[in-house]
Amino acid sequence: MAEVRLEHVTKRWGAFVGVADFDLTIADREFLVLLGPSGCGKTTTMRMIAGLEDATSGSIYIGDRRVNDLDPKDRDVAMVFQSYGLYPNMNVYENIRFPLKVRKVPASEHDERVRRASAMVELDAFLHRKPAELSGGQRQRVALARAIVREPTVFLMDEPLSNLDAKLRVSTRAQIKNLQHELKVTTIYVTHDQIEAMTLADRVVVMNKGVIQQVGTPTEIYDDPANTFVAGFIGSPAMNLMEGKVERGVFVGQNVRVPGVSTKEGPATLGFRAEDASLVMEGAGERPGEIVAPIYTLELLGDATMITVRAGGALVSVKAHKDYRAEIGDMVGIRLAPELCHLFDAESGARLTPARAAGGVRAVAAAR
Amino acid sequence: MMSAKTVQPSAPLRWTIGLFLATWCLIAAFPLFWIAVMSFKLPVDAFSANPLTVIFGPQTRAAGQGLSLLDLALGLATLAALYVVAAKKLGGWVERVAGETWLPLGWVVGGLLYGAVAAGVLVVLLPAVAGGLEAVVRPIPLVGLLAEPAIGLTLEHYANIWFEQEFYRNFINSLVVTAGVVTISLTVGTLAGYALARTRSSLAFWLLISALIFRALPHSVLVSGYLPPFINSAEILEPFLGDAAPTLYGQPWAVILVLVAINQPFTIWMLRSFFANIPAELDEAARVDGCTHFGAFRRVIMPVMWPGVITTGLFSFLLAYNDFLVTSLLLDAQNQTMVPAIASFFNRETTTTDQVRAVAAAVSITAPLFLLVIVFQRQIVSGLTAGAVKG
Repeated sequence: MAEVRLEHVTKRWGAFVGVADFDLTIADREFLVLLGPSGCGKTTTMRMIAGLEDATSGSIYIGDRRVNDLDPKDRDVAMVFQSYGLYPNMNVYENIRFPLKVRKVPASEHDERVRRASAMVELDAFLHRKPAELSGGQRQRVALARAIVREPTVFLMDEPLSNLDAKLRVSTRAQIKNLQHELKVTTIYVTHDQIEAMTLADRVVVMNKGVIQQVGTPTEIYDDPANTFVAGFIGSPAMNLMEGKVERGVFVGQNVRVPGVSTKEGPATLGFRAEDASLVMEGAGERPGEIVAPIYTLELLGDATMITVRAGGALVSVKAHKDYRAEIGDMVGIRLAPELCHLFDAESGARLTPARAAGGVRAVAAAR
Repeated sequence: MMSAKTVQPSAPLRWTIGLFLATWCLIAAFPLFWIAVMSFKLPVDAFSANPLTVIFGPQTRAAGQGLSLLDLALGLATLAALYVVAAKKLGGWVERVAGETWLPLGWVVGGLLYGAVAAGVLVVLLPAVAGGLEAVVRPIPLVGLLAEPAIGLTLEHYANIWFEQEFYRNFINSLVVTAGVVTISLTVGTLAGYALARTRSSLAFWLLISALIFRALPHSVLVSGYLPPFINSAEILEPFLGDAAPTLYGQPWAVILVLVAINQPFTIWMLRSFFANIPAELDEAARVDGCTHFGAFRRVIMPVMWPGVITTGLFSFLLAYNDFLVTSLLLDAQNQTMVPAIASFFNRETTTTDQVRAVAAAVSITAPLFLLVIVFQRQIVSGLTAGAVKG
């Protein structure tokens, strides 16, 4: 059990910067997810922790030990790979036992530990099969068992679910979450799938182009994205982002006019989530919506109807009641509450409105 | 079923293909069959104008050297049994005794042991058993005919060439050269191939290209480059080794050096592509699991890799075993390997007897090749067809 500390860790290949000044402390027993699009440096960061990649500068600590100059085998970490990395010439039992064998754990303990680990991932019935005779989900569970069996101080998981089909992904995800809870081992998990990140993580690190964009709980990064990148990456659908400018406290853009968002004048980006807006019902004597535009497209999702309009130089989506029906081209009005909108700097993309306490905004929205 | 039906070629096409393959096999295999038959006959029969005389060898039989039907049946049964043991059983035994880590070494030892046992059975046990049986059967009327010689066959050319003309020395030289070339090529090749398959350095690309260029050089260029220093090596090396400086010319072990130089680029290329098929995640998993880098190579990569090693080893073996140019130029008459020795037997060409002896030598040289392919056929096929090794 140990905390993992990265101090100003940087990875460079020639002029290319893979990871820039990564500075973070991962608490003991925490489930940390590194999230970002491909090429954002998340896997490189994990590989530097594992020792498969050397950091160009900075220090990595596991517990109290600086591990920069240690071989992977001496760092006491276990890793689960995207394409499993099972040894094809050994059966499942030998695969799981391999770490015990090379680490010279007394042979008398092997059998019990292998069986305990395989029971945790429900592989008891497959111990004598070769990896080639297993399905993808079973192979990934062998890889998990091989990581568990050693009882390491840190688990590293590199997109372990991305080779599985959608249904298996959900069940294996639940299994990983449960295992981590049972074993209470610090876990670092890399993924490009924001749903995995939201469901698994105690804390999420959103990365882009080698730079940390935001660190926070899943609720924090969902409700208070630190910049337009995080806002556009997290959530399904992602946050709507509209270009425009603030004039005397009013955000104005194509088809959009939101009063009371900011006192800072000048160009800005306004963001809101699809579920934070509502449609203006006609004929009820209401004032017109903050966005008024013709419907661009309308999608039936089953539990809701998604309405997309063109506003502020982008396509913005709004969740409406599942029974709502309209034709493409019909005019709609969309109501935005200024307190549920996020204002970002037009140049840097950084958040301008202050972050609100997590959960607070939801409470306000629910009370209305 | 439908798709299987649609790709089935039409009957005339199938017949044409069959005929073509049969003709081709015949053309390819016939010379080997024919010299094998010749080598067992007295020169009178071997050089007869009548093909049937060559095959049945009446003169040889009349000289009292022939095989009875009983001998033939016994001989064929023994050969079949040896084949089955080599192809089906040997692999299992080797794997059980040697275990995963020592498998390649186990195969070498197993192959050599098998060769020795097979030779013993064929040369000592079989004639003894056949002779005994014939002695028992001969007095019985009618059945006794089975023991009468049917086909003329003599081993005297083999005995002469192997022992009187000391072909076994050439055999040992070939063994030394071949074993040396295979061992060195594979050791350097696996290490270099692994490194080149895993490195991200751009230097690797240029190394591989230069290896290709060296492989493309005509062998005669390399040999003529090596020849003068080999002849003068005693003088050249004297400052370093003093009186112990050897003359490399005429030494079989020195030829290994040249053949390795010729063979190494190819070995590296081939092994590199085998290694490149093994996902890097495998080494990484092993290193995180507790192996050193070399440990991961030895315990995880090599066991997966060894069909590739066997295949590459086979190609190296063939190059060294069949080489003529290098061995004939760098070795003197006293120390030749088998191929140049056979060439000089043919060149002597004084009597027909000498020629049949040369033919017998030429047939002898193919026996180890058959043995090799039979023993390793499973590994060779899996090595040649191996795609990506997926975990």
